[in-house]
Amino acid sequence: MKRKFNIAPWLFLTPFLGLFSLFTVWPLLHSLVLAMQQTYGPGHTTWVGLHNFTFLFSDPLFWKATANTVKYTLGSLFIQLPVALGLALLLNRPNLKGRAYFRLIFFSPSLVGLPFVAMLFAPIFERRTGLLNVMLHNLTTAWDPDFAWTQNYIMSALIIAAVWMYAGFNMVYFLAALQNVSKDLMEAAEIDGAGPWQRFWHITLPEITPIAGFVTLLSVIGSFQLFELSYIMLNNTPGPDNRGLTIVMYLYQTGFQTGDLGYASAIGWVLALMLIAIAMIQRRLLKRREEL
Amino acid sequence: MFKALRNLTGRFFSPGALVILIIAIVTSTIVALLPTREIKGIPFWVSAQPHYEAYLPLVEEWNREHPDAQFGLQLLHASALERRMLAGFLSGTPVADLLEANIGVAAKAFLGPVEQVGFHDLTERLHAEGLYGQINEPSFAPYTSRGRIFGVPHDVHPVLLAYRSDIVEAAGIDVSQIETWDDYFRIMRPLMQDFDGDGRPDRYLLTADATRADVIYMLLLQAGGTLFDENDHPTVNHPTNARVLAEMTTWITGPNKTSIDVGAFTAAGHRQRLDGLVIGTLVPDWMAGQWKMENPGLAGKVKLMPIPAWEKGGRRTSVAGGTMIGINKTSEHIEESWEMIKYLYTSPILAERTYRKASIISPAKNLWSLPVYDEPDPFFSGQPSGRMYIDQAPHVPHRPSSPYTETAGQYLVSVAIALKTYAERNGIYDAASLLPEAQRLLDQTQADVQKMISRNVFLQEGDS
Repeated sequence: MKRKFNIAPWLFLTPFLGLFSLFTVWPLLHSLVLAMQQTYGPGHTTWVGLHNFTFLFSDPLFWKATANTVKYTLGSLFIQLPVALGLALLLNRPNLKGRAYFRLIFFSPSLVGLPFVAMLFAPIFERRTGLLNVMLHNLTTAWDPDFAWTQNYIMSALIIAAVWMYAGFNMVYFLAALQNVSKDLMEAAEIDGAGPWQRFWHITLPEITPIAGFVTLLSVIGSFQLFELSYIMLNNTPGPDNRGLTIVMYLYQTGFQTGDLGYASAIGWVLALMLIAIAMIQRRLLKRREEL
Repeated sequence: MFKALRNLTGRFFSPGALVILIIAIVTSTIVALLPTREIKGIPFWVSAQPHYEAYLPLVEEWNREHPDAQFGLQLLHASALERRMLAGFLSGTPVADLLEANIGVAAKAFLGPVEQVGFHDLTERLHAEGLYGQINEPSFAPYTSRGRIFGVPHDVHPVLLAYRSDIVEAAGIDVSQIETWDDYFRIMRPLMQDFDGDGRPDRYLLTADATRADVIYMLLLQAGGTLFDENDHPTVNHPTNARVLAEMTTWITGPNKTSIDVGAFTAAGHRQRLDGLVIGTLVPDWMAGQWKMENPGLAGKVKLMPIPAWEKGGRRTSVAGGTMIGINKTSEHIEESWEMIKYLYTSPILAERTYRKASIISPAKNLWSLPVYDEPDPFFSGQPSGRMYIDQAPHVPHRPSSPYTETAGQYLVSVAIALKTYAERNGIYDAASLLPEAQRLLDQTQADVQKMISRNVFLQEGDS
């Protein structure tokens, strides 16, 4: 039977498709063309083929930015997410009083904008007068009050600030997942003599895996896009020896501070491909786990 | 009323949506009714508050005298000026006819082909009208790209050493004995003390660190080092640069560490300077002005002296920062803008006002005899700070205009950090032994900078 073409859905979709094409598809395609050009602003361009990409792979600054971004991402994954899960487990205890207040307290840092977090943490990590150095020096005089957190351990400082900001946010996802864990299963396991660790490992964790996978993916994507936190904490610079340079910061410097939109587009495309690859790997791992 | 509102709420909006709608209507109305300040006249952008305050009365006077060529002076945040200027130069969005840009911002206009630089080429005018000869010649260098001058310098920005005279004089130290850096550290050494008994000094002799690009660059220029030659070719591996880095490493690490990083403009840095954590700091004239505003507690506790030289008879100053004024080359008011530049930058009234407001000395040599520069400066314990800066002005080193200067400076920091790490790892704390490693690291960096620049086909086009 021949299906009749119905124009109505297309008419409803037209406004979205128009805006999507104009503001997403067209810039995306244009950026791909730009990535093959060397530019001095949009008005002056020269076709360079794949030179931007070949240069990128031998550009020490790009690799430095990538290494820094990966460090920050790993910190986010292995510190921030366990902290978030820990908080969620604490708040999920059945007899906890004031759960709503704790939830608000833990969640509230994520209501503060990243630039404010950066401005808040910059003086904490200050040499000699910073809260952290003063506290550590008061605890033990062996601690050097001139310890330069934002010079020697920039990524650690950024991870600490990010944990403060995002742990509560991710906690909400984990808490929602934990509240959906089957109580029947938990009770059955308890009756069968399973201890708290066994219950967590064999019931809770498998049950929350889909949400954990989603949170992990969001964290990885968010971490790879790190910009404001380091840019503001380091006073609009990539920090000494480019120790705070991230991929997006490098993209910004290249495209908007030196006007080389072509190279910036190449960086953007490589970043996008990295994220697509990570998402695919993560999806495959989750799928394999589900099959098991 | 409430019933009608409830009906409306129930029918069309949820209560939340209604609240959002009301807030949107009220705030939009307020924004629409707010008066907007329209700036009349030929647009003239500046980004430094003291410059704006100093120019405003003069521009108003100009506007009264030139009703057909009035200028609208506008103060923009430095980042806003940079973005709007670059967007205008690169994409043709509206830009002021006359712009004042600091050295870092101006350099970004020189990245493309020379014919694409957004500023009007002033080379011929400057020479034809004799303005070039009136202004301190080295001050033009940062605004000269591929032989063409695109801006008139607003300043010279010589550097002196500011030191805690109260502490130094209480210890009976006579700074007139100091001529070189070796003298400085030897004579000042008794001032390094551990007050709280934790085994670490609580007073250092100089603000310097491997992470301080500004300090490294000032020291390097003073010593005769460069990052780029007059043709903007990189000279990062200049032997003088290696020598400076090797020497500086012995100041910032090891058993004879005498220097520490104290923030230039942070609240913590000001507090530490006030507490006497550091004795000496390299201070360009504009920084002296900022200290007066931001750290008035230092008044009467500091004095200035020429920077100790790298060797006897060597240069006793350096240079840091800078601002230029330029004309947008697409301007329809190039002649009027040029007249305004001359009116402002050769004005003795403005020179005096700029000095009083910001401690910045004029680059116009004929204005150096103004009496204001000889006045005792209470902040610097009664010294005639203006005259002290002017005495050094003719000796400020040349600086390159390369748009890659900032990036090369960052590379230099990387080398300084690597050299410091090398010294600590191997326990090498004498300059002569560090020199080969400093040179090796700089050679490597030179290759990196060259590679980065070689990517810019436009600069190569203009270069050839």
